Amino acid sequence: MSTFKRAPVTHAGGNNRNSIITSLKATSMIESKPVLPAEIISTILDYLPITDLMSFARTSKRMLEMVYEDSRWVQRLQVMGLWDAGEARKRAGIGVNGNSGARKTSTTLFDAGVEEERQRKSMDAAAKAVRTSIDGFERLSLSTPSPAAPTPRAPMLDPEALLNIFSGVRSIRGSARQEYGKIYAALAPFYYDLARSRSHVDPVIFRVYRDPEQQAQMLAHLTVFARSDWAQGWRQREEKLVTMIGIFENAVLREFEQGFEAWDVDGKMHRYAHVLGVLNGGHAGIELFVQKHALFNDRLGSSMDCINQASSDNITLEPSRQFLEALSKKINEQADIIDRVFPPGEDVLHILLDKVAEDILMEYVTPLFDESHERSLPSYLKAVSGIFDQSMQFGLTLKPTKNSGKDFLTNVKSVVARVFEPHVDLYLQEEHDYFKRLAETEVDTWDKKLSQEDATTESFFMANVNRQADKKDFLSSFKKVVMMPVNVLPSLPPFGAAKTAPANRFSLQPAPSPRLSGSPIPSRPQTPGPAPALTGISSSLPSEAPTDELAAKAALMASRLEGIRSLFSIEIALDLTHYAKSSIERAALFVRLGGQTGEEAREQCLTIFVDLLQILGNRHVKVGFDKAVDHLSKYNPREVSEHQQGVAPLVTFLELVNVGDLISQMIDVFYEQQLASPKLADRNDFLDPAVVAKKKFEQMLDERVAAGLNKGIDVLMDEVEYVCATTQAPTDYNPPHSPSGNYDIGPTKCAKQVVDIVESHTKMLTGSTDKTMLDVFNQEVGLRLFTALCKHLKRQRISTDGSIALISDMNLYFLYIRTLKNQELLEYFKALRELSQVYLIEAKHAKEMAEVIADGKRFGGVFRAEEVYEFAERRADWYTVKKDVERAMYGIGCGVM
Amino acid sequence: MSSADDQTITLVSNDNVSIPVALKVAERSMLIKNMLEDIGESAMESPIPIPNVRKRASPKEVIEWCEHHKDDPATAADDDSDSRKKTTDIEEWDQKFMQVDQEMLFEIILASNYLDIKPLLDVGCKTVANMIKGKSPEEIRKTFNITNDFTPEEEEQIRRENEWAEDR
Repeated sequence: MSTFKRAPVTHAGGNNRNSIITSLKATSMIESKPVLPAEIISTILDYLPITDLMSFARTSKRMLEMVYEDSRWVQRLQVMGLWDAGEARKRAGIGVNGNSGARKTSTTLFDAGVEEERQRKSMDAAAKAVRTSIDGFERLSLSTPSPAAPTPRAPMLDPEALLNIFSGVRSIRGSARQEYGKIYAALAPFYYDLARSRSHVDPVIFRVYRDPEQQAQMLAHLTVFARSDWAQGWRQREEKLVTMIGIFENAVLREFEQGFEAWDVDGKMHRYAHVLGVLNGGHAGIELFVQKHALFNDRLGSSMDCINQASSDNITLEPSRQFLEALSKKINEQADIIDRVFPPGEDVLHILLDKVAEDILMEYVTPLFDESHERSLPSYLKAVSGIFDQSMQFGLTLKPTKNSGKDFLTNVKSVVARVFEPHVDLYLQEEHDYFKRLAETEVDTWDKKLSQEDATTESFFMANVNRQADKKDFLSSFKKVVMMPVNVLPSLPPFGAAKTAPANRFSLQPAPSPRLSGSPIPSRPQTPGPAPALTGISSSLPSEAPTDELAAKAALMASRLEGIRSLFSIEIALDLTHYAKSSIERAALFVRLGGQTGEEAREQCLTIFVDLLQILGNRHVKVGFDKAVDHLSKYNPREVSEHQQGVAPLVTFLELVNVGDLISQMIDVFYEQQLASPKLADRNDFLDPAVVAKKKFEQMLDERVAAGLNKGIDVLMDEVEYVCATTQAPTDYNPPHSPSGNYDIGPTKCAKQVVDIVESHTKMLTGSTDKTMLDVFNQEVGLRLFTALCKHLKRQRISTDGSIALISDMNLYFLYIRTLKNQELLEYFKALRELSQVYLIEAKHAKEMAEVIADGKRFGGVFRAEEVYEFAERRADWYTVKKDVERAMYGIGCGVM
Repeated sequence: MSSADDQTITLVSNDNVSIPVALKVAERSMLIKNMLEDIGESAMESPIPIPNVRKRASPKEVIEWCEHHKDDPATAADDDSDSRKKTTDIEEWDQKFMQVDQEMLFEIILASNYLDIKPLLDVGCKTVANMIKGKSPEEIRKTFNITNDFTPEEEEQIRRENEWAEDR
């Protein structure tokens, strides 16, 4: 072929015609033959069996080159999974000098292989001889597990060595052919023999190797080897091999089954599991083991116990816990057995767990959920999340086997997750709906109650309550409660020690808890309780104390804030957050599932939170605020018959602000504890719905407060003016001349009252809203007070005697304003204080008076001279001094007039 | 699809013989198929020269094969080395089809190679492989007219080197 490849041009059409005559002669016919290009020859070579390939190689140098081409052999090794490209690269990197040496050694190795082959052949012949002489060999060898090695097989060493033929294969570039040759020499005889054999007793392989382990090993080798055989007819050969392996596998499996039935763990089961493992990974054995496992025949308990043992409409999770515990124990036993029986490689426990989850857990859980769903929603919610948590705990107690790998826990988790996946969607939906409904009903009932009591919106003044301290106190206990696990779902005791501490679970069920705590099991002392002194029920309900504390505080708060109970209630808010907390905590369990389900659970938690804010905010707080503002705007001091110390609606409102702030802080704590710290929500993600909702809530609160304060200031000033108008006696600043000169030094009753009113209201806000708002409020109050006072002053008539009272009034105002710590505001009142001195000046000192009036600096720029002049007009003796003052002010011109 | 069934194109071999071929048949050749895809409908009218397919009846034979196999599923293009095992044994019709003299066989192989008809090429190669099977090197040389450029020592050396592959 090579000849005409080198001269393809020579046979043109004409030449061909001529040669037709001589076409009978073989030589000339060859001349006319078309040329096959190298790539086609290469393709042809692929279809050749190895033997013929080598014959072909011997035809010419060119062909030899083609056959010896390394890639051809690398490919075969690759198909068998014996070629390590990385190793080959490394070897190639060692250098060219090492290369030739490697080649040489491999050729010498070859000769050894050939030797082996020869020995083996002769031995085969011997074996054949043995077979013909002994008829008893008809049986498949594995049924006689003790390999009775016949004496003629003295050179058994060689077949032994063949068992590990693959381990000696190296990946060397340039000598792939030699490496393949080694394998071929070892396995091809068995392979072709097996392909030719007609029955399972025929193949040499079963005669050379008597041990089932060895037989399995060789069969496994042959399976690998068959992959490199793609010469024509491979299909039949492979089929044959597969059937042989099938027969062999079945026989081994039968042995395994016998062992299984006899529960001969370390004997037959162990041995044949290993044989199967060597053969093809041992799936058949594992399947048998898992399928026939006694575990699936036992009834560990009925899920209905959970419902039946509990009072109506309730559910107890104790039976399910016991069930899972028993299951866990059994599985751990099995894990030991698996370790003893199965060879390394396959994760048998995982397969077993899969089946356990499907057949046992699933069947346990599904009817329970369905039943409880039909019965009552709360118990359903409790059941799903509770059993899920228990199952997770259950997963944690499982012991990994040797084969389980590092991701055992993840695997277990995913197995558990699979059981719950079908329920999660419904559950999350129900949880959300349930919460929403509950919260809405709560608010509705409260609204209804409110409308009935609406008439009696009495408020009490509570100036002496130290709000900030109270709130701090309240909040700290709230925090404590929030951090506690929800009491309907107490954290489960560690499963391993489960027997010792079942008592503190399901604490909200009054029925079982006394029974549990009264049970003879010495449960408590062994768990590190926070307070060993506490015994009995209280110790079994660790979450009770802070709850009680909180409840007490809430009651305290409520009683203190009694006056505003009617607008919105902190208790309601507390209840709602409690519901939300339990719902979120239950749903949050599922976040652990990860993946899509986990994500959904997380979203559902956020939704619950958002709903909480919406219901609490829009339905409850906002309505309350609106009402309060409404009350405020309707307030008219002149219509109110009895005046207490404060302005009733304003007090109400300010208290509302306090409560609102408290609620807001509560929500904040709640958010931090429930959503942010367990990573349910990202507090830095401004698009997060929970964050958005929280912001909105706070904003809403601020808006309401601002609107209310605006109204509040109006009302407050109305009140101030009213007080001024009603309590300021005309004689206060213009006392009748009393010769005794015994003046009543000190501020007037009116001023005292005004300061009291304003002060009490401003104080109420301290600490309830943010500082800037408070500042703005104070400033506004101050300014308005100032205007009101100016107006008031202009209505009075002030004598020199009365100015003493006025000055002390102004001092009082000034002192009060100073407590607000607002410098700007202080200026106004300073000016006012200065101003009041105008009245002190005796009539005869008109000149000085004029100086004071004209002295703008004196009033810090607050009053202009004209304004001061206006105030001066309010002097009781104005008309007598007017002329003098004007003269002093405007100079001589006035005098001329 | 029905229109494609009746559509024919004209192929011209290098000895200027026009051969009308049904489109579907011609498309067994990936070469023609790709060509038609590239130049589009206009190619349908003008004859397509296939200069490398030469001599004697090989276009006819190739077309015959294509006619027979026109309804085969198109060979997948993912012909990587690992899928070697996909190649099955030669089916009966093909075996008969390949019962031609060696020259024709080579012609068919070359034509299918040029026209890129993978299945036909495979069948051809397998047939050649079968011809080689079981023959001694000398017989192979004779069959394929290969000049032995080894010295007897060299040949013996190769034989010994590959002794592992001998016999079974």
